[in-house]
Amino acid sequence: MGREVSESCIDSLLTEMVSSYCNHFYANKPELAARRIEAIGYQVGHQLSERYTMERPRFSDHLEAIKFICKDFWSELFKKQIDNLKTNHRGTFVLQDNRFRWLARMSLDPTADDAVPQDPSDFAESKAAQAMSMYLYFPCGIIRGALSNLGIPCAVSADISNLPACSFVVRIKA
Amino acid sequence: MIVCVAVVGHQNNPLYIQSFTEADDALKLHHIVHCSLDVVDERVNNPKKSGPTLNETFLGLLYPTENYKVYGYLTNTKVKFILVTTDLDVRDVDVRNFFRRFHAAYVDAVSNPFHVPGKKITSRTFAERVSNIVKSFGLSSTG
Repeated sequence: MGREVSESCIDSLLTEMVSSYCNHFYANKPELAARRIEAIGYQVGHQLSERYTMERPRFSDHLEAIKFICKDFWSELFKKQIDNLKTNHRGTFVLQDNRFRWLARMSLDPTADDAVPQDPSDFAESKAAQAMSMYLYFPCGIIRGALSNLGIPCAVSADISNLPACSFVVRIKA
Repeated sequence: MIVCVAVVGHQNNPLYIQSFTEADDALKLHHIVHCSLDVVDERVNNPKKSGPTLNETFLGLLYPTENYKVYGYLTNTKVKFILVTTDLDVRDVDVRNFFRRFHAAYVDAVSNPFHVPGKKITSRTFAERVSNIVKSFGLSSTG
């Protein structure tokens, strides 16, 4: 049994990682910071998928691999499974987590210049949403890295239009 | 006695190859490992022949040559482990045990943040663990 750390350490590490890349290493270049964070997530997902598929038989198709991500992989990472999986049967999957652990403790600053708009359709463009989206590149990278290691190249994006639920959209490259 | 173990990546690139005997030609062992990769591909891509064990990680005896037996194991991430042994009576459960421990050592080596995926495994800890696993191969008997 390996050594364990408390969950607050992970929360602090993620907060600091986003803060360092956005404000320090790539200040004023959010696209580069996002790509770097996503690349870190890719490597982590790559290595985690190696570890969590150890005792399992091989997957027969893409759906099996996605179901593995939704159930076992998500349980190992977040102590719960994905709540809802949707697909268009043409290579796009939507994984919905009704209470994404890494966003659960994030508050939206009410004293900011542009306060969080009450209308949910404006939320996506607000600064609060943009700040929050920086924290989603890491889990997107983890999913992309895990699926790539299982032989499924894909693109992963996140959707936070109804918090605290978070949806990850996986588009498998043909 | 195990003469050689190898880890081969999903593009058939060698990640780790170690022989445990000075007597035999290292080149010959590399060649045997290389040939066994074709057998692995054939086993995996031919569902009719494999039957119920299609998705199992342990592939079993790949092919026997005059002096050696070659066993294969394919992980979910398409990484292949090859084991070459000169033992005549090898128990299936011993080989499965070997691959289970070898897989655990491999996962730990790959989880090293300084390891570059796709490049050879250079960790000394991994090499030591592998030689320990090799030494204890077949020694434990359930009686």
